[in-house]
Amino acid sequence: MKNYLQKLTFTQTTAFLVVLSLVLFSFIMPVGTQDTANQSTGTDKSEVTEAKPMPIYGNWKNYTKKDGLPADKIYCVRVDGDRVWAGTNNGLAMLENGKWTTFTEKDGLAHHNVLSIDISPINGDVWVATMSGLSVYSGGKFKTYTQFNSGLANDVVYCVICDGKDVWTATGGGANSFDTFTGKWGIYTEQNAPMHEPWTYNVCASKEKIFIAAWGGGVIEWTKKTQQFRDYVDPDGEMEIDLFPDDGVIHDITTAVSYANDILWVSSYFGMSRYDGSKWKGYFDHDSGLAGNFINFLKANGPVVWACTDNGMSSFDGNTWVTYRNNGTEKGGKVIIDGNSPNERTLSATSSIAHNFIIGVDFKDNEVWIATAGGLSKGEIVSYTETKTSKL
Amino acid sequence: MKKGKIYLIVILFFLLAVGYAAFHKWSVNHVTYITGGVEHPIGCISCHVAPERTGFLANMMNEDYLSPINATANHDGSRLYVVAQDADQVIEIDLATNQVISRIQVGDRPHTVEITADNKTAIVSNQWANNIYLIDLSNGAITDTIATGGGPAGMDISPDGKLVYIANTYDNSISVIDIEAKEETRRYQGGNFPTNVTVSPSGDMVYVSSQRTIPVEHRAPIMSEVTVINTVANRVSDRRYFQSAHIMESIEFTPQGDMAIATLVRPKNLVPSAQIEGGWMINHGIGIAMSDGRMAQFLLDEPNEFYPDPYNIVIHPTGKFAYVSHSGADMVSVIDLDAIRTLLQNASDADLVRYANHLGLSSEYVVKRISTGANPKGLAISPDGKYVYVVERMMDRISVIDTEKMEVDHSIDLGGPTRITVSRLGGQLFSNASHTYHNQYSCYTCHPDGHEDGLTYDLTGSGRNLANVQTLRDLNHTAPFKWIGTNQSVYKQCGMRFSIFVTRTESFSPKNLDALVAYIFRELTHPPNLNRLPDGELTDAQKRGKVMYYRTVTNTGMEIPVKDQCITCHNGPSYNSTIMSDIGTLKENDDPTLFDPANLNNVYESAPYLHDGSAATLEEVWTKFNPDDKHGYVNDMTKDQLNDLVEYLKALPAERYYASDQEYEVTTGQLH
Repeated sequence: MKNYLQKLTFTQTTAFLVVLSLVLFSFIMPVGTQDTANQSTGTDKSEVTEAKPMPIYGNWKNYTKKDGLPADKIYCVRVDGDRVWAGTNNGLAMLENGKWTTFTEKDGLAHHNVLSIDISPINGDVWVATMSGLSVYSGGKFKTYTQFNSGLANDVVYCVICDGKDVWTATGGGANSFDTFTGKWGIYTEQNAPMHEPWTYNVCASKEKIFIAAWGGGVIEWTKKTQQFRDYVDPDGEMEIDLFPDDGVIHDITTAVSYANDILWVSSYFGMSRYDGSKWKGYFDHDSGLAGNFINFLKANGPVVWACTDNGMSSFDGNTWVTYRNNGTEKGGKVIIDGNSPNERTLSATSSIAHNFIIGVDFKDNEVWIATAGGLSKGEIVSYTETKTSKL
Repeated sequence: MKKGKIYLIVILFFLLAVGYAAFHKWSVNHVTYITGGVEHPIGCISCHVAPERTGFLANMMNEDYLSPINATANHDGSRLYVVAQDADQVIEIDLATNQVISRIQVGDRPHTVEITADNKTAIVSNQWANNIYLIDLSNGAITDTIATGGGPAGMDISPDGKLVYIANTYDNSISVIDIEAKEETRRYQGGNFPTNVTVSPSGDMVYVSSQRTIPVEHRAPIMSEVTVINTVANRVSDRRYFQSAHIMESIEFTPQGDMAIATLVRPKNLVPSAQIEGGWMINHGIGIAMSDGRMAQFLLDEPNEFYPDPYNIVIHPTGKFAYVSHSGADMVSVIDLDAIRTLLQNASDADLVRYANHLGLSSEYVVKRISTGANPKGLAISPDGKYVYVVERMMDRISVIDTEKMEVDHSIDLGGPTRITVSRLGGQLFSNASHTYHNQYSCYTCHPDGHEDGLTYDLTGSGRNLANVQTLRDLNHTAPFKWIGTNQSVYKQCGMRFSIFVTRTESFSPKNLDALVAYIFRELTHPPNLNRLPDGELTDAQKRGKVMYYRTVTNTGMEIPVKDQCITCHNGPSYNSTIMSDIGTLKENDDPTLFDPANLNNVYESAPYLHDGSAATLEEVWTKFNPDDKHGYVNDMTKDQLNDLVEYLKALPAERYYASDQEYEVTTGQLH
């Protein structure tokens, strides 16, 4: 053998090593990378979560006023370690150690209509967007910023997110940035950004960019490094229909943006859009598993996006749609997999989400928390077997 | 001699005599004006040389003192490290020989030094440089510079030695630095002007004291925050308040962890300053945050003797005694903590309220008063508890207290100038309460660090003309003084009127008044403006705000009357003028008056605003208190324009830092 190897030419040796490398690499290469729908397109080099089979959630536990919430109309939900925060139309509620605690104006909260919540990654402070100012809950106390005592653009604050030390808000008077280290405020409106008007609904952050859902302005993208704006609007300009499919964001009136796994998801009252950095794709309730075109909010959790519609909660990983609905006056609910497709399956469930009008969603490990017009729902990943009459 | 020469000499003599008489008359009138008609043998040098910061004569008159402020002993008790604030040094003392063995040059305006458990590294907070230094103590080399929040001051190291927690005074934050990684890992929102930090013995809690009250409703009782950080959950878990108290310069856990004790001041700013039997104007003591959640306060004063400006506290390793420095009384109080524990054991809520105001109670727990040199500030205790080291700021000296004998054993000279200059004498007077009735408070008490305490006082005792305390920093050449501009000099401000209404004692002697004026004008200065870019330039928002500040036309192109332009009343190096104005902020309890424009240097650190402190933020000056555009024409501005204007105002620096022709380009040719 030794003699044989010594007789190999350099070219033969090189060719042998290349073939050997390819064989080994084919074993190491994960199968999931074959899934083009989940491919990273490298728009933002953010952390990419590996695609897994689409989970199904069940064992729903619904929280309402009977359980200690201040109201059944839940605008938003945010998981904060062992705590869960819920924004309602009657105050801010915190679930800790199985018990709900409510905060209102009496406690220093800016307003009882709580529209959005986020947690600072650098100090754990809880930022709360309300209909009348921006509050931060820290050390058991509230501090409130308004348009009169601070640089807040407008007291109607639809959304708040924490991006490192920066707090971004979407308000009725423009998007706001607030540097919590320096105390500097920035206001972004049609005066200094490519917006149609100052009304903004939602904001999200990636590692390198901020995305703003602007009423009538599509999506406004702000690059942190260059501090430059650009916009994504509906290229066909039609407000009633999406004239040319997949030509861009489906509508200029956008309600939410979420960025994960290098994919930007955009919701509107007319459907949902997906942008991978080069191509847009639109989704509607008539040609996909989307529960409804009227989407209040969406949020991506790794490769899976959750769309909060007026007709149930839809989740989508690029391949598979899963929609959760309750049965209205009847008990239980259903799970619809790949709706509006030849492969559509419906699972009946003994438990379900509290209401089909969905307004918010957040995640924790194997749990999903859903804010609805009829209570706050918590689901957990369940295993199931599909038969002709499948049940969860 | 020829007749002509004689005539010439006579004429010259006559002219000199007339000239001297005229000058003398003018100078008498000038001095009378400057001193407000109070007899004072004031000379030209008093006003024109001694208070100046530059110039040959001013340099000849003054010295570069060390002004130590804090100290810490290393963990084997062999070394003491002293922060010399004015010299930007850490001074290393061999405690076996009581000799200074090295001087390490550190950053701008150092505040505190901490030593790592292995005694190998010193950590120094540089308050005006917004960073900390790590110093290799084997050779005195600065090995690392780590950025912090604004104005890093007090610090403490976690029991495992991995983290250092830092109170950032100027931006109200708390930095957490990973010592090994040499980077800031977290930043928490603190109280108002955080000052000092203590980590609980178990390491699971960090308490941070603060100098000022949190914003409260106008003329509501103040409350100052102890920020509680849960180091397990990595969040601020509580914000505990000491009611009706502020100026918590330091805080320290007992070794048992049952109490965190803060030094504090209890101002009586909501009542007329005439109720002497009720504690008069300002009391001094300690606040205790108990592990059971209760908050208690104890006065260190006595009914007819006060011990103002408690600055630092250290606790004996046994947890039985605490030592508090009174920087305004040149005294250290020794507190029996077991006596405090006994009082607290069965105290009801009503008892706790009573204790906080009880001037006669201190005899039950203050076991000794130990006299020190001028202006005792920081304290350090040896690891074995045998010695307490007292930093005497205005003496450039350390006094060493034997804790068994409870008396000063010896002193250690830090090697500062031996001559007491006029300005230095002024500094000693400024920080000492001996010139107020019952030694109740010093100038420093309401003007900590030469700034202001953020409170509004009823100095006339009438409920009228409430006065928001103003900063004393960078006052020279900015006369007149007071909100209503009635004091043409500090001589008048701190003269007879002051003794009648404020100190209730004899006036300062002319010599002392000279010294006080020299100290205030020469030594009290603003820190660098942290809102600017690191190179001192303006941000884009600040540049836009500058345009708004200097604008002469409205958004619709209408010309703004000169009197309504910002720059008219707020111009020049101090952003002020002598134009008295009605800015529409008079309240029902104010006498009719016009206002003297306030200096705007570093105005961002002077909340609340307006003469009575009714505007909580700069924004409120215009969103709530300027409905008729009397205080500048702003109501046509969009919200982002007002934001830009506020950003520019926050960036206005002290004169010496960024004064340039560009900064004041509009100050000539436009006024009046």
